Amino acid sequence: MNRLKRIYNLFYAKFFLFDDRLVLMTAGAVVGVFAGGAAVALRLSLASVLEFFAPYRQYAWAFILPGIGALCSFLFLDKVVREGAGHGVPEVIYAVSRRGGLLRFRSTFSRLVSSFLTIASGGSAGPEAPVVMSGSAIGSNIGKFLGLNDRQRMTLVGCGTAGAIASIFHAPVAGLIFSVEIILGEWKFINIIPIAIAAVAGAQISEAIIPEKELFQHHPFDIFAGDILGSIGLALFTALISVIFTRTLRRVGALAKRTPVSPWLRALIGGCAVGTIGIFMPIVLGEGYHPIMEMVSGTFPMAFWLIFLGVFLKIFVTAITLGWGGSGGIFAPCLVLGSLTGVVFYKAMMFVFPNAAVTSEGAYALLGMAGIMSGVMQAPLSSIFLIAEITGGYEAILLLLLVSSISSTLSHIIEPSSFYFKDLIERGEFMRPGTDARILSDLSLNEIIDTSYITVSENMVFREFINIIRNSNRNHYPVISDETGDYLGMVRVSSIRKYALDPAFYDMIFLNQIMDTDMVTASFDDDLHDVLEFMETFNIDHIPVVEHHRFSGMISKARILDLYRRELIMQTNIQ
Amino acid sequence: MNYKLLHIFRNTPFGRETFLQSLYFCKTINAHPVVYIPKTDKFLMYFANDVVQVNLDNSFLAFPDTAREHVIALFDEAGIPPRFYEPKNFTASTLPDISSQFDYMCSPRSISDLSSKIGLGLLGPKVRRMIKQATFPILIASPVFKAWQSISVFFGGSANAMNALVLGLKIAIASGFPLKIYTVLENDNEDVYRDMVRNSELEELVDQYVIEWCFYESSGFDRMLYEVPHDSLIVLGAYGHGVIKEILLGSKMEHIQSTVTNNLLVTGPNCRISLESATQA
Repeated sequence: MNRLKRIYNLFYAKFFLFDDRLVLMTAGAVVGVFAGGAAVALRLSLASVLEFFAPYRQYAWAFILPGIGALCSFLFLDKVVREGAGHGVPEVIYAVSRRGGLLRFRSTFSRLVSSFLTIASGGSAGPEAPVVMSGSAIGSNIGKFLGLNDRQRMTLVGCGTAGAIASIFHAPVAGLIFSVEIILGEWKFINIIPIAIAAVAGAQISEAIIPEKELFQHHPFDIFAGDILGSIGLALFTALISVIFTRTLRRVGALAKRTPVSPWLRALIGGCAVGTIGIFMPIVLGEGYHPIMEMVSGTFPMAFWLIFLGVFLKIFVTAITLGWGGSGGIFAPCLVLGSLTGVVFYKAMMFVFPNAAVTSEGAYALLGMAGIMSGVMQAPLSSIFLIAEITGGYEAILLLLLVSSISSTLSHIIEPSSFYFKDLIERGEFMRPGTDARILSDLSLNEIIDTSYITVSENMVFREFINIIRNSNRNHYPVISDETGDYLGMVRVSSIRKYALDPAFYDMIFLNQIMDTDMVTASFDDDLHDVLEFMETFNIDHIPVVEHHRFSGMISKARILDLYRRELIMQTNIQ
Repeated sequence: MNYKLLHIFRNTPFGRETFLQSLYFCKTINAHPVVYIPKTDKFLMYFANDVVQVNLDNSFLAFPDTAREHVIALFDEAGIPPRFYEPKNFTASTLPDISSQFDYMCSPRSISDLSSKIGLGLLGPKVRRMIKQATFPILIASPVFKAWQSISVFFGGSANAMNALVLGLKIAIASGFPLKIYTVLENDNEDVYRDMVRNSELEELVDQYVIEWCFYESSGFDRMLYEVPHDSLIVLGAYGHGVIKEILLGSKMEHIQSTVTNNLLVTGPNCRISLESATQA
């Protein structure tokens, strides 16, 4: 046993400690394979079950299928694996933003199962956010197993995301960009290589099991000058639809929380509502890849008004599915919604300008997807590369750029935060790398706090205190209650000069008579960023940390700034 | 001293017993209990290299209207000002993050319909995982309130056991209660263990605070458990093995906690115990 341990230590020292990039690249490939495998497993199982249920969808009783699926999904998440509610991607961003990329082991499979139940039964949601959650959790847990530090673990979380996205869409570049743009929020050499390896590994796993070239194949598009104007119009339209979609998702979710029914019943009701709508408009059900394929290839048979109605129904059923207890992501609904929007816009444009020299309906479906994704996620690069890769529509790359840029900018003006970030921003927990808030949040209060302060008793006579300060170089002395040990206030050397200079006071006053009881305190739960801001605003250099009425130590501005500088150097050196 | 103990309150008679135990523990060592009244049936604790989800049974959410009132009444009875913990961060809306910045934590025990899981049953992998990751000792309270009057440290010579000995000394210094060390000899003679203490520079404190060091043959483990006074706080180190390691290697801690009814104070491999403040006091 000891020999094995020595061999392992030797290998670890020679290989892993030689350069931590090797660790990350090796681990990234492993994470990519597992994340890719998870994504393929979900995709194949969804395809087979959706196919199995397809003949039954026309029956009236089929409305109950999404209800049962949502109910099972809710019960699985809440009672079996006991995960908290949420879409997946915001949790991963939170883990990276605040928790050093720590994710629970159960997250490696929980969302896969719950989203499978929701989507396979007909719920309007996408399998991509669950595979992102799963892949990220795989990365996080492999990082934990290898005993990696926070930064390395976060890179592996990014690897999991990239591997999952690359695998489910056959899109390694989109996987890499999504991971860096949305999840990690920083472009660093040390991150990009392992994530790229993970993306390739994920895509290769998918390619090996499901040998298809692109997810949505189509005939080549001919692009005309008139398409530039058309694209601008479509970008405005998709920005509007994106904002409506984002707001509806949030409002329906909030309404669900206020509805006075038990959560399982809510999931059942929501699912049945989705099922009922699905009987009349089947394209809104499930992940919706089949209608997308038809729209991109220009063979979608529905009439203009029905498609127009379909846009709003898709928004509504997705909001109901996700807000009322189902599980899944908004990636696939964005794609369906985008292609529907693109087709509606194209048909409207052709109705108004029947002789306009523009490209095909399929190209507009593709541009619509990019527009909606950019608007909802406010991540234009991810959208552009994802759409280009999954459709092979590189000939439309300029128009994709145009639509994505305008749509994300306009959406950002109307709705300043994306769907993924909004909750985190509202909770004050969205911290991107390199920002002051993030650097300060990476510092532990335990590192900053100075606990070597001398505490003094409230009933200490001033003469005794003079003897203490004579032998100490401190300027602050926390006063503690004799009875309870609670913090009562602070004696500052600068504020007792008049008593110190007059020996007549020495035996006359006690510390509880001269202590400063108004001095603002901080607690361990306070954000360092807020504490520093407070010190700046009120021009104070020291602040006592009081936890549950007990004095824990002092924080000084100089110490914060020293450690801030150290952390900044450490973070930038990694590059 | 300025120590804080996190207590997850359960508003039931069983929960009251556990809380009384926490209050007694805190009063004895001059620490302060901080009570969290759960509003959801689960919470997360983030440690340096792991995140542990603690799932609470429904009894923790019982009678939410009276929970705070009951806690305050018990605090008043103990003469300690009430302090509550409110989570600030949430991983998901129903999943609060509970701070791991405490000095002690009273482990929540689950109540199950299976009688074997009540009180003296299996602690389970979750508590063991918490023990493995926590930087603070975990108090596993006896099912019924029992005022302990002495301290018993189980010392087997490992790094964890050394940690437990330091903790035992710290509690003895703070409480003034007598401390006994219990050692099962595993192929070594007594001097090996005494040398370990000598080498760790604890000899002086051990001489000062330990009233007896009891040694047992390797087959005498259960006899040792019987001879530990029923009103003693047992301090021990544990590795916090997961399910697989527990199956392969077994778990001494599970054996101890399912055999004795004493309060247990368990230190894990990441637990940081410092005697500095205790000796200063």
